[in-house]
Amino acid sequence: MIKKSRKVRDYKELTKALPTMRFLEPESVYIHLQNGRCKTYDLYVKEGDYVKLGEVIGIRHGGFFEQPIHATVSGTVGTVSKKLHRTGRKVDCVEIRNDFKETYHESIVDRTDQAIAELTQDDMVQILKEKSLVGLGGSGFPSYIKLATKEKIDTVVINAVECEPYLSSDYRLILEHPRRVIAGMTYIMQALHVKTGIIAIKKSKDPLYQVLTQVIKGKFPEYDIQVVKLGDYYPQGWEIEVFRNALGIDVPHGELPMKYGVIGFNVSTAAGVYDAIKHNLPVTKRYFTLTGDAIKYPQNYRVKVGTSVKKLIELSDGFKEDYDKVNIIMGGPMMGVSTVSCDVIVSKTTTSVIVLQDTDYEEQPCVRCGSCVYSCPAHLEPVQIMNAVKRNDKDVMKGLGAYKCIECGLCAYVCTSKIHVTDYVRKAKRLIG
Amino acid sequence: MEHMPQVIRKTSPYLRRPQAKVSRMMSDVVIALIPVIIFAIYSFGWSAVWILLASTLSMTLTEAIYYWITSPKGETAFTLSNYSAVVSGLIFGLTLADNTPIWVVVITGVLGILMAKLFFGGLGQNIFNPAALARVLVAVNFATLSTYQANIPIIDGEAGATVLQTLNESGNLFNADILNHIPLWQLFTGIGVPGSLGEVSALLIIVGGLYLALRHSFEVRIPVVFIATVFGLASAVAVYQGLGIWYPLMHVFSGGVMFGAVFMATDPITSPITKPGRIYFAFALGFVTFIIRLFGALPEGVVFSILIMNMFVSAFDYFKWSNPRFTTKGSVIFAGVVVAAIAVVLVGVSYVG
Ligand code: SF4
Ligand code: SF4
Repeated sequence: MIKKSRKVRDYKELTKALPTMRFLEPESVYIHLQNGRCKTYDLYVKEGDYVKLGEVIGIRHGGFFEQPIHATVSGTVGTVSKKLHRTGRKVDCVEIRNDFKETYHESIVDRTDQAIAELTQDDMVQILKEKSLVGLGGSGFPSYIKLATKEKIDTVVINAVECEPYLSSDYRLILEHPRRVIAGMTYIMQALHVKTGIIAIKKSKDPLYQVLTQVIKGKFPEYDIQVVKLGDYYPQGWEIEVFRNALGIDVPHGELPMKYGVIGFNVSTAAGVYDAIKHNLPVTKRYFTLTGDAIKYPQNYRVKVGTSVKKLIELSDGFKEDYDKVNIIMGGPMMGVSTVSCDVIVSKTTTSVIVLQDTDYEEQPCVRCGSCVYSCPAHLEPVQIMNAVKRNDKDVMKGLGAYKCIECGLCAYVCTSKIHVTDYVRKAKRLIG
Repeated sequence: MEHMPQVIRKTSPYLRRPQAKVSRMMSDVVIALIPVIIFAIYSFGWSAVWILLASTLSMTLTEAIYYWITSPKGETAFTLSNYSAVVSGLIFGLTLADNTPIWVVVITGVLGILMAKLFFGGLGQNIFNPAALARVLVAVNFATLSTYQANIPIIDGEAGATVLQTLNESGNLFNADILNHIPLWQLFTGIGVPGSLGEVSALLIIVGGLYLALRHSFEVRIPVVFIATVFGLASAVAVYQGLGIWYPLMHVFSGGVMFGAVFMATDPITSPITKPGRIYFAFALGFVTFIIRLFGALPEGVVFSILIMNMFVSAFDYFKWSNPRFTTKGSVIFAGVVVAAIAVVLVGVSYVG
């Protein structure tokens, strides 16, 4: 207990070996009109209109950017209603009733390799902007802004670490579509005039290593792309930790990695770049893990953006009868957000839904064992921050650097006394934020 | 979906480390103490049993009654179930001499846990190590009642005195003759050595410490640095005075250094929270212990130094300079402190010697 601990049981065996099920055809999809970054929107269509797959049906307005909204199926527009978003709040969603024809919008045309070779950074930024690509690992940060960087980049890093327990959708994506991922990566490299690239995976995922190295050798011999295996600990997938271990670059808190010559993209985002550049296609589908100890058949799915999770749970044969109370978590079980109902919608940035038996951990008084301090990847002292929160001493919270917390959840995970330390640190962040 | 469970909203993370438990940590200490306890009973017979029973019961019952009175429904931090009071009781008992009267054990045990733990708000809130405080209460209030005896008669009429006392009383702190009475191997194994119940066998204490280290139930840096500091400072003195390796070894193996380092100084509640902090803390413990031994001639040097350093724990943890990682600046300062500590000891020795 009194030790640095970064091992988190990963439970990936539940779904890792299962091929992705394609669940492409929901009767209706619900497209978010708002999200965490964009509060207001304009909708260009009205109830009864016919839309095609990939058509722009509206635009979201954010602080500094706009996001076009795309239809992910072809069909007729239904009503606008409030639906749960992955952040746990209700947001406006527009329904599109699927006509099951998969009629693509006229704008969805492939670019030839020749045409792609001529694209400049600005062209690509423009395409990503039109296709509304965002960080699909969950960050939701607009990718075109990242790609538009003016800094001199030396290395493009594709983050395929997927260190959260239970998740395996990135794993399956690479196994099943390695070429899309690598091609997307080469487009990013082209845009930024970068010669070297790195795909970071976990040590324990040797199949990925095999697949990726072979595809790189066979199909992309002219690129200098390395597959590096990183440690099997949590939170290895944290971008800063990836850069540190794969490249030896330490990016201090609050600084952009681009300043240090590196830029990171999630695997799904790289595949999204490929779709956008090659097929001129926005993100209409996503790789998605539905798992947990309270669901009957854990499964990887490839779903339309806008699908109801409820439908997917039904497809997995529902909840196990063993538990009366469950948590439904959008995202991973360490950092994800729990929702109040299974009636949530898969958005572009939803990587997974985890259904867990609800456990009440009995908290004991803190015994100052120090494992939260030893384990914190951001090198904070979570227990001291917690004590400062209890005293409401903001100077100390600031002095202890609570704002640097990445909310990885490790301090609560390791706590000998089963205290929800992470919540206290979160509170400190809010108080001094 | 026939089965529709209730959906409960929580905040992340939703998983917890399965092996982490306060009760496991505390019961590990009890397990680590078992060899020491058995050896105490073997060496001292029934008196060891009675003392350990008295110390453990007085502390646990006091805690139980205290919570029974202050929170009648038992809804607040009733901490007996995590064995922390049992651990304090056993450790306190093991630091006592075998002829300590039972009533002294009971009074100091009750006072120790009340003053050191319960008045501060119970487990986790205390500043002082309850066992150390109780032991010091015995030393301060009942000093004449607690002399050391072993059931094996000591040669040359030295019965009733530990190695350290003998050294101090002989008037020559650096007298190798002591080893004629008690050879080092005896000091190491604890066979036939006078002293308190649990402190005599370095060997068994190391066994317990290894167990705790393997189970990650204590911070192994604390005993290692503590003992290394005592050993190092004593070695410096040995070199300065032209004494043999017996001198530092004797310091390490006698008078509760091993026991205090492994079982008392490692109490996480009363030690600093960061890795560097714990190392500095352990070094300070070793230094204070050695100084008390050189100049104070107190057999309870270890418990005194633990209580003294307990007072400074919050200073080690002060947010402006505590750091979870080693920094260059911290290491440089620490190196300076180490050098200064050696200098202080040597200057001191040249006066005493
Ligand atoms: S949640 Fe924050 S404080 Fe806790 S371990 Fe992670 S980074 Fe550190
Ligand atoms: S908060 Fe938990 S992990 Fe941190 S010191 Fe206290 S008991 Fe240990």
